[in-house]
Amino acid sequence: MAVEMTMPILVVDDYKTMIRIIRNLLKQIGFENVDEAADGQEAYAKMQENKYGLVISDWNMEPMTGYELLQKVRADESMKATPFIMVTAESKTENVVAAKRAGVNNYIVKPFNAGTLKSKMAAVLGDF
Amino acid sequence: MPAANVAAQVRTSLASLKASDLQDAQIMEVLKLAHQLTDTMKLFFSSLDQSICQEFNYIADYISRTRDEIAALRPNDIKTERIPSAGQELEAVVGDTERATETIMSEAEAVLCDDEDDYDAYRASVEARMMTIIEACSFQDLAGQRVSKVVTSLRHVENRVSRFAEVMGVRDADHVVEETEEEKRARELLLNGPAIGGPETSQDDIDAMFSDAEPASDLDQGSIDSLFD
Repeated sequence: MAVEMTMPILVVDDYKTMIRIIRNLLKQIGFENVDEAADGQEAYAKMQENKYGLVISDWNMEPMTGYELLQKVRADESMKATPFIMVTAESKTENVVAAKRAGVNNYIVKPFNAGTLKSKMAAVLGDF
Repeated sequence: MPAANVAAQVRTSLASLKASDLQDAQIMEVLKLAHQLTDTMKLFFSSLDQSICQEFNYIADYISRTRDEIAALRPNDIKTERIPSAGQELEAVVGDTERATETIMSEAEAVLCDDEDDYDAYRASVEARMMTIIEACSFQDLAGQRVSKVVTSLRHVENRVSRFAEVMGVRDADHVVEETEEEKRARELLLNGPAIGGPETSQDDIDAMFSDAEPASDLDQGSIDSLFD
């Protein structure tokens, strides 16, 4: 199935600059319908209100981490199928294993570039 | 009353008793023994006094030396000058970095949105914005100097504390320090932070864990198997 380029994407990060970077990269890739949240709690509240085609989330945030958000999303029947990519500086193998077990669709380690983001999105959503 | 005075008092009492012209031979024998005992006790108490005196002198010296070493540690300087100053420098680095990032990103976004129809105007705009970006990168020089000052302060504190521990013969306590709420959260939620010198697991290794390719080398077979459950 073709990827809907107008689908809403939720970017979750506590650093405004990182959200801005991801917004710009997504724009270059062709996705402009981007929403944002500063932590897992805000993201989960937004996901209860809106349906997103993809969540791109950082790991280390307060009060709710991206890992906790992932667990909550996968446990919630109404949003458990939402594709979820973790974009984080947490690069220990235990983090990647934990995220994979919790149901993450892909994992990008910071710093990253547009090519990496695009290839992981394609791996999760299909070619676009 | 000092031990020497007590012994002298006992000796005086015994002498007085002896001088009272007692005729009983047994009592005289007892007095003689008591006299010998007093002499022995005098020696014992005088050695005891010396030993206690030495102990107190040692404790007084130790307290005095500790006070001098704590003064050399200059804890007030560390608390009121070094640490606050280092904090201010780091805050300044964060501020400088944020402002530079804002400038660089704004200019780059503006270039991406520039109208390309008028080539000369587009070129002039791109050149001007590139110069602004280059200028904004000067934050790195200031940040480097500020971080160097912080590193110097940390080394200073480290040297003082190390010297204090060495001079006073301080060793780390054996008991396990209780985990704080912050440390507990970090442990449970795997909040390790960025690794020094680049990612601990490379993007290629992570990709391998999400594909059929070779997995990361530091995974044991059990971990690998569980990824395929």
